Amino acid sequence: MPGFLSWGIIFSLVFLSIVFPVACAIIIISFDFYWIIRTVYLTTLLIMAHHQIFRQKGRNWLELCLRLDARRGWPDLRQLVIFPVCNEGPEVLRPSLEALRASRYPKDKFIVVMAFEERNPHAHENAALLEKEFGSCFGSYLSTFHPDGLPGEGRTKGANATWGAREAKKLLDSRKIGYEHAIVSCFDADTCVDPEYFGCLSYHFLVSDKPHQASYQPMPVYNNNIWQAPSFARLIEISSSFCQMIESMRLEKFVTFSSHSMSFKTLVEVDYWPRNMVSDDSVIYWKGFLHYNGDYRVIPLYITVSMDVAYSSNIFKTIIVQYKQKRRWAWGVENFPFVATRLVKNSNIGLFRKTRRLFHLLESHVTWAVWAVILVLIGPLPIFFGGRFFSQTALAYNLPKITGILFQFTLFTSLTWIFLSWTILPPRPRGIGWFKNIILVLEWFFVPGIILVVGSFPALDAQSRLMLARYMEFNPTLKGNKVL
Amino acid sequence: MFGRLRKKHKETPAGVRVDPVFQGARFFLFFLSLVLFFGGLPFILAFALGYKYNVRTMSFVKTGLIYIKTQPEGASVYLNGRLIPEKTPASIEELLPGVYRIALTMEKYYPWKSEVDVEAGKVSRVDKVILFPLKPDLQRLNQEGFDLFRVDAEKGEVYYMDREGRIIYRSDSAGENFEDIASLPEKFGQISGWDISPDRGRLFVYGPHQVSVVSLDSRSNYEYPDSFVNLDYSREKVIRVFWHSDSYHLIAVTNRHVAVVESRALSKPVNLVELDKEPVEVFYDVKRQTLYFSDSAKYADGTPRKNLYKLELSPELYILERLIRKTDE
Repeated sequence: MPGFLSWGIIFSLVFLSIVFPVACAIIIISFDFYWIIRTVYLTTLLIMAHHQIFRQKGRNWLELCLRLDARRGWPDLRQLVIFPVCNEGPEVLRPSLEALRASRYPKDKFIVVMAFEERNPHAHENAALLEKEFGSCFGSYLSTFHPDGLPGEGRTKGANATWGAREAKKLLDSRKIGYEHAIVSCFDADTCVDPEYFGCLSYHFLVSDKPHQASYQPMPVYNNNIWQAPSFARLIEISSSFCQMIESMRLEKFVTFSSHSMSFKTLVEVDYWPRNMVSDDSVIYWKGFLHYNGDYRVIPLYITVSMDVAYSSNIFKTIIVQYKQKRRWAWGVENFPFVATRLVKNSNIGLFRKTRRLFHLLESHVTWAVWAVILVLIGPLPIFFGGRFFSQTALAYNLPKITGILFQFTLFTSLTWIFLSWTILPPRPRGIGWFKNIILVLEWFFVPGIILVVGSFPALDAQSRLMLARYMEFNPTLKGNKVL
Repeated sequence: MFGRLRKKHKETPAGVRVDPVFQGARFFLFFLSLVLFFGGLPFILAFALGYKYNVRTMSFVKTGLIYIKTQPEGASVYLNGRLIPEKTPASIEELLPGVYRIALTMEKYYPWKSEVDVEAGKVSRVDKVILFPLKPDLQRLNQEGFDLFRVDAEKGEVYYMDREGRIIYRSDSAGENFEDIASLPEKFGQISGWDISPDRGRLFVYGPHQVSVVSLDSRSNYEYPDSFVNLDYSREKVIRVFWHSDSYHLIAVTNRHVAVVESRALSKPVNLVELDKEPVEVFYDVKRQTLYFSDSAKYADGTPRKNLYKLELSPELYILERLIRKTDE
């Protein structure tokens, strides 16, 4: 359905531009105006989210946890941290574990699971190396090896994470730790947590009304190698971080993305992550939502987890890497049939709520697939196809003029994004000249050029694949010289 | 609504939730955006479609506009005698339908005036205006006296012929590098025409009974000696001569034949077509190596009729084709 809708919108507008250019021009002007208002609105949300992050920065969350009444459950609380590993080597995993070790949080509360894929020939060797280095740093440390080709499974991150979580469950059972006392965090292999992350997570978990009926979403920023990454990749990843920050302000639509945390009890009850779907990070939210008949939410944690920017050795390869990564993200459209079929069957969720959630899901994916195409490609079509009659109308004359004026308003939002991107940068490493700061500002002028490459095309690609039943598998992303 | 939001967050300790103030502000912004969109869109669309709000009548009136573009740009625009602030290229918007007087003025250029009809919802384009300078940019190119000239636009060169002094000059299109490059044969009578070869290496001149070829660049002309080539046409009258694309053959159209002749001493013309009557019009397409000429022929009923023929002269193919077919077929 999303693919059908997206292509339907695009073809309808192209058809209109040929047959009824006046109608098409009116739609384009309306869409441009809508888009400008939406951009301003979302930028305001971004400012609010950014303000939240900076307001909570440096807060001693652990101390806040310790101050809580013991009856809230702090003494028994455990942190189960799962790193699903596909082909990543120690050079990727070590910084993640070092960041975990540097957390301001009692290490004995950690149960770290390094979930390797059995099919990776270096899995056991890497596991042994890391275990030797980090095995004694945490309360418990497990290396698990997910067998390849189990029935009902695809080659997905969710299958590996589920295997790791099941192994961890055995450990919890053996130590008689109640599932309700464990928070599970499923992190991408390159995720480096903020030292305060687990304090922040624990505090939110302990003070929430229904802690098991919530997922906890930190703000993902792609900072680890941002100074080394090419402009193209850096811009896209900063924009991705910003989009996630914006989403965190729209609580009624907020869905888990990438690295996230949740109650282990809930994870077990919803039968873990999906084992045959690529977008396990968002599906786990929907599983919770359906399990609790809609009484399930995502609580934003205004604290960052840092990951790597996806890039490759040259610009063309970087474009391909970015394209594939965004297509994988856009493959989240597979959530729609998953959620729609289950929501229809669920009579405990009200019709309005069901419709609203499905509409949000559909609208976000369709908009993702068509907005850049409409703005960049379809915008000039009425003038191109309109012919002599249309070119003589005031509308033909005013179309580019109004579009130009409207887009001048985006300059203000662009300047805001440039400023905010500056504030989330990590310190400039040694060996990188000060002129890079100037590049970081100037590169934003290339945004219109890269909108199409990573804007709509990957989403259209993903939706078309879903429509034609050409299902995707999880492909790890290349980030610099690392595979993630 | 905001009160309800606060109530919802009341049980949660302060500082960890999404600030209800932010959520309140968000809802406010959301509804403000809706109001802006639905309130602003009609005005934007009305403007796009050419509507103007008439405060006096409190209603929308459909207007048109005039778009003016001149070459050169920067002309002052008068609309019904009133100067508008914009200079060309300019658009005068929100004009009620009707006829408007437009005047375009620019210092040192002739003014341009016209009446333009404005229709509702349409653009009247005045975009092909060229303003001509009062004092044309006139420049003398020749540095010596001459009778005839040829301009080689492709190369940006000008050739001059001084018939009396029998000298050929050449300069660039700015008149620079003026030099004499060749002499004409001494015993050449009346000159009917002349032309430079496609490779710019040679030149022919022809009169009623004579064709001469002159080398313009002896250095590159190693194959042929640096001398005049005289072709005698004492028994025929030369109508037109053309260079073949190889810069070696000449196509000569006389009152009796269409002939091809090599531009070398003692070469004999090859008569390709025998003509019935002296052709009045002849055209040679150098690119396609095709000659067009008219000739008359007698038909079955004995009446002479004029025909147009096409003769392809590519080295591989000589085809004579009559272009206009008459009723005798």
